[in-house]
Amino acid sequence: MKITNNLCLLTHNGQSETLSAKPGLWEIIVPGGEETVLSALVFSGDLSVRVVLTEPGASCRLKCVYLAGGDLKSRIRFDVIHRSGETVSDQIVKGILTDQASVSFEGRIRIPRHSQKCEAAQNHRAVVLTDQASVTAVPELEIYADDVRCAHGSAIGALDQTQLFYLMARGVPEEVAKKVLLRAFVRDILDPSFETYVDEWMEEHV
Amino acid sequence: MTKEPLLEIKDLYARVGEKEILNGFSLTIHPGEVHAIMGPNGSGKSTLSNVIAGNPAYEVTAGHILFKGKDLLTMTPDERANSGVFLAFQYPTELPGVGTALFLKTALNAKRRFEGKPDLDAVGFMKRLKPRAQALGITDEMLKRPVNVGFSGGEKKKMETFQMAFLEPDFCILDEMDSGLDIDALRTVSEAVNVMREPHRSFLLITHYQRLLDYIVPDYIHIMVNGRIVESGDKTLALKLEEKGYEDYK
Repeated sequence: MKITNNLCLLTHNGQSETLSAKPGLWEIIVPGGEETVLSALVFSGDLSVRVVLTEPGASCRLKCVYLAGGDLKSRIRFDVIHRSGETVSDQIVKGILTDQASVSFEGRIRIPRHSQKCEAAQNHRAVVLTDQASVTAVPELEIYADDVRCAHGSAIGALDQTQLFYLMARGVPEEVAKKVLLRAFVRDILDPSFETYVDEWMEEHV
Repeated sequence: MTKEPLLEIKDLYARVGEKEILNGFSLTIHPGEVHAIMGPNGSGKSTLSNVIAGNPAYEVTAGHILFKGKDLLTMTPDERANSGVFLAFQYPTELPGVGTALFLKTALNAKRRFEGKPDLDAVGFMKRLKPRAQALGITDEMLKRPVNVGFSGGEKKKMETFQMAFLEPDFCILDEMDSGLDIDALRTVSEAVNVMREPHRSFLLITHYQRLLDYIVPDYIHIMVNGRIVESGDKTLALKLEEKGYEDYK
């Protein structure tokens, strides 16, 4: 697989929906009592996902890993609309950036006034390996209902030097240690079918 | 016949940021010897262990360290480890998402590659792992967990000792191995260390208290104050310290 422009892999409820297709807008309507799980692996290009939770009991989990190297650019947009009360959403985005890559993540949560008792969470974390890479995280929370639980956070930083030293002090060479830590960083939200792509990217970029 | 030293530290100066912590530290350790360094808080004991292991947060400004006759200070931390240096950390780092078994396998195979040997297969790995894990009460469940994540203080120290037994280094630094251990765990860990005492392997014990030295009896004790050794002696020095404290040395 060659990692080029506009490469993004997706699975929706465990089914591989598209491979190396040009990412576009994905719209998913979730009815009552159903959960939708979307996993994405983004190398570059635009990924835009809109989820509409239409009835009580609807929920969604959006899990996205982005790996940005070279001079590639990505823009990831999540837009979750809690059209009904008693709906649940969770967005988790983790990224690794190196070289001169740049990524922007825009995560929107919309809860209109009538949609009470919703739960919405959004978490973004990125590890930036070079000074030239850049990442922008823009949370957009439009919450008009007052009886909801909503949490969001974003953390961007370098690779943990204490963890790196611990591995190296056990004899693991620096480049191997970095890969071990970076794989561990994304693994918990990564769809297992994407693992080989992640390994391939690491070999080339870390 | 005099044996060649395993470790030779000469007139070492090191600092963290702007703060000088080691001030002309010298110490020679021969194969098979067990040395203990005792000293008050802030005397530079943990800095010494980090400098030997190659922690980049510490800067060596003068002096040298020879390990098996080679310049240790020019080696990267992984080269030092694979040459036979092992630091059992005072505060072992948690590695979320990195399974303990995978971690051990990665470390062991790194050493084997360094020695020009092929990677160990799964059977060989388990053969090496099991008896050492049992001896230290490391359960299969602990090996499945991420490294040190959710471990109690005592479990972390056992895991450090277990890693040491597993990797079979020639020079082991135990940085406050006794802190946070109850008496049973201290006994287990000490036994594991004593089993490893061999003519080619040396230990450097760093501790505040004499208690550890009842279980692992050292050949030499050094008292460290303000970044250097101020007195050396045999094991009776610890008893004197226990009685009088560090006040006379300050």
